[in-house]
Amino acid sequence: MSCWILAVLVMVSLMLLAMVRLFLGPTSADRVVALDAINTLVVASMIVLAVVFRQILFVDVAIVYALLSFIGTLFIAKYLGGNL
Amino acid sequence: MTPFLLFQALLLLGLIITAILVVAFKDLLFSAIAFAAFSLLLALEFYLLQAPDVAIAEAGIGAGLTTAILIIAIRGTKRLEEKE
Repeated sequence: MSCWILAVLVMVSLMLLAMVRLFLGPTSADRVVALDAINTLVVASMIVLAVVFRQILFVDVAIVYALLSFIGTLFIAKYLGGNL
Repeated sequence: MTPFLLFQALLLLGLIITAILVVAFKDLLFSAIAFAAFSLLLALEFYLLQAPDVAIAEAGIGAGLTTAILIIAIRGTKRLEEKE
């Protein structure tokens, strides 16, 4: 069980590294891509945490999250494209 | 359970960083992106505290709906330097 927690730890460290780009990124496209990377890492760590907690319900949360999380990125992309 | 506590500490560190970024950014679009990252990490924190239903609500409202509404509201505003 401990190795799964270590995997989640690595993913949270990667989230903090993506947060550096969210802080520094000169253009807004950099920040949106950093946000999308954090999105994907959150979904992946939710699935690994479902293995850690040994509950099947937690995978459903990750599925709902993966379905809903792209809407924010979609709206920001449409705003940057100028045709919202 | 030391890796677990370390994971939670890293997650709370990311929450504090993104909460500071929401206030510190001067551009409204950057603040909206940082707020999306904040709600992502908050959903993961709820998930970690074994409240998956709250995490589903936070994912739906926070990540999807709030970012879209904020972007639509930002579209109705003007930048400060081109106001005159």
